Amino acid sequence: MTPGCRHANLEPEAATLERIAALRAGAESMSARDRVMAAVAQQEPDRVPVDLWVAREVRQRLTEYFGCDYDSLLDMLGVDFRVVQGPRYAGPEIEAHPDGTVGDVWGVRRQTVSYGEGASRGTYLEVAHSPLATMTTVREIEQYDGWPSPDWWDCSHIADECRRHAGKCVVYAGDRLDRTAQLKTAMYLRGVEQIMLDLVLNPAIVECIVAHITSYFLDLNRRVFQAAADAFDIFMMGDDFGMQTGLLVSPQKWERFFEPGFRQYIDLAHAHGLKVMHHTCGAVEPLIPRFIDAGLDILQSLQPRAAGMDLAVLKKRYGSHLCLQGSIDIQQTMPYGRPEDVRHEVRERMRVGKPGGGFIICTAHNLQADVPTENIVALLEAYHEFAPYETR
Amino acid sequence: MATLEGLRTAIIDGAAEKAVAHVAEALEEGVDASTILSGTLIPAMAEVGRRFEKGEFFVPEMLVAARAMKEALRLLKPRLAAAAVEPAGRVALGTVRGDLHDIGKNLVSMMLEGAGFEVLDLGVDVPPERFADAVRGGVGIIGMSALLTTTMPMMKTTIEHLAQMGLRGAVRVMVGGAPVTEAFARSIGADLYASDASAAARGALSLVAREG
Repeated sequence: MTPGCRHANLEPEAATLERIAALRAGAESMSARDRVMAAVAQQEPDRVPVDLWVAREVRQRLTEYFGCDYDSLLDMLGVDFRVVQGPRYAGPEIEAHPDGTVGDVWGVRRQTVSYGEGASRGTYLEVAHSPLATMTTVREIEQYDGWPSPDWWDCSHIADECRRHAGKCVVYAGDRLDRTAQLKTAMYLRGVEQIMLDLVLNPAIVECIVAHITSYFLDLNRRVFQAAADAFDIFMMGDDFGMQTGLLVSPQKWERFFEPGFRQYIDLAHAHGLKVMHHTCGAVEPLIPRFIDAGLDILQSLQPRAAGMDLAVLKKRYGSHLCLQGSIDIQQTMPYGRPEDVRHEVRERMRVGKPGGGFIICTAHNLQADVPTENIVALLEAYHEFAPYETR
Repeated sequence: MATLEGLRTAIIDGAAEKAVAHVAEALEEGVDASTILSGTLIPAMAEVGRRFEKGEFFVPEMLVAARAMKEALRLLKPRLAAAAVEPAGRVALGTVRGDLHDIGKNLVSMMLEGAGFEVLDLGVDVPPERFADAVRGGVGIIGMSALLTTTMPMMKTTIEHLAQMGLRGAVRVMVGGAPVTEAFARSIGADLYASDASAAARGALSLVAREG
C-alpha cells in the first residue's frame, strides 16, 4: 500500500488515520505500557509516548469526526495511556438543591456554567457553595458533618476495568473534580480567597482541613491500590500550585502545609509498586526540586506560557530526575494558532524533550471546545511524525 | 513620623488591627486623611505590589496586606468624603460572561483600591450589558478578566457592545487573566493589558494620567 496514493480518494479523517497508522508502523516495536515505562525509567523507547487530554465536548467532536467510539479512536491514534476513573460511588445519596446546584462527597456545591458560542460552546461545573467558608474555629471545622468516608466507594470493579486495556499504560486518576489533592480540595471547601488568607492568619485551620483531606485520600487510595494496584501502572494526582506568573503560595508555605501530604500520597503509591504522576498548572519551577525530593515520577502540564516553564530549561535542570509530561500550549497555539503553528510547536518540543527518554508528549491541559478540529488533527499527526527515536 | 511608619509596616505585613490602630492614632495626631492615604497607604500597597511582581510575595501575603489596607481605608473614607477628596478614578471590574474565576479580578480590585481608585466590583459572569451600565453610571475605566481561553472572546464581544451603545469613547478598557496577552488586548481594541494585579494598578494610573 502506498499511503500517498490512497489519500487522494479518502475522506480527510480517514487519510489522517492512515497517515498516523503508516507513521506508527514505521516506528513502533514496543507495547504502549513498555514504551511509557521505559520513558519513565529515563530510557529512550521506540518513540515518545503520546497522551491525549480532551474536554468532554472535544471528545464528542472527535468521535463524530472520526466516526468511531473513543476507545477505538485512542487505539488508532496511538495514544499510549488509558485513564480509569476508579471506584464507584456507593455512599449516601448526593443532594441536588432547588437552586440547581449539585453537591459532591465533600458537601461542596457546584453549578453548571455555559461558555462560548456556536461550535466552541461548552459547559463547566463551577463551585457555588463552599461549606467551610464561614467557619472561624478549628473546632467548628472538626465538627463539620459533611466530611466524607472512604467507605462510600466501591472498588470491586476497578481491576476488571483496568484489564480492558491490556498492553496500554493504565492510569488511575479519579474524577477531575475529586482527584487526589490537598490545596484544590481545600479551596473548594473553604473558598479560594479564604484558604489563602488562612495560610497567613489561621494556619491551624489550614492544618485541620488538610489533615482531613489527606487522611481521606490516603484511606481511599489504599483501598483502590489494594483492590487493583497490580492492574494499573500510574497513580495520578492533580493539584494546581502555580498561576501564570508564579507560585500561588511561597515555597516555604508549600513545604510546611502541603509537602507532607504530597510525600505521603507518593509513598503509598510506591509501596504498591505504582509510578506517580502529578498534574499542576502554572509556573511551578521553584517547586520541582521539592517534587523530586518527595519521589515524584512524572510531572504533568509544563504549561509553556507560564513563567519559567520553558521545556528546554526544565529538561536540562530536572530531566534526568523525573519524567516530563505535557508542554503543548493550549492558551494560544491550540485554540488560536494555525495547523502549521501546531506542527512547529510539536517539532520543537520533541527536539528538546526527547533526548535520553524521560519525556511524554501531551497538551498542558485538556483540549478545550475552542480548539479547531484541524488543529487537533495537526497535533496528532505531528506527534507521530516527530515521536520516533532515531535508528535503534 | 513613627505612627505612619508603623502604619506602612502594618499594611505590608497584613496586620489589619495594627493598621487600623495606627490610622486612628495618626488622625488623633492631626494628620489629615488625604495625607494618610496618599502618603502612606498608597505607597505601602505599591510596595506590596512590587514584592508580588518580584516573587517575594505570593497570593496569601498580598491578600492579607489588601485586607489590612481595606480596614484602614474604612476608617478614612468618611473623612475623605467630607474633605471632598476625589479618587484617582472610578473603575468597574468583572470577570466576563461565562467565567466564574475571580481570584485574579479580586486581587486587581484590591490593588486598584490600594492605588486610590474607587472600585465598582461587578462580580463574576458579567454580561456586556452590565459593563455598559457601569459606563453609563460614570466609571472611567472598565476592567475585564478571563481565566479560560473559551471565555476570552467575550472581552471582544463586550468592547463591541460598548461601541454599539456609543459608549466606547467614554471609557478606557483594561483586560487581563491567565491566557490574555498584550497582542490579544491590542487585537480586540482594549486600551491596556495587565499581566498581574500590580501591573493593573500601575496601568490604570497611567490611563488616568493620560486623560489628564
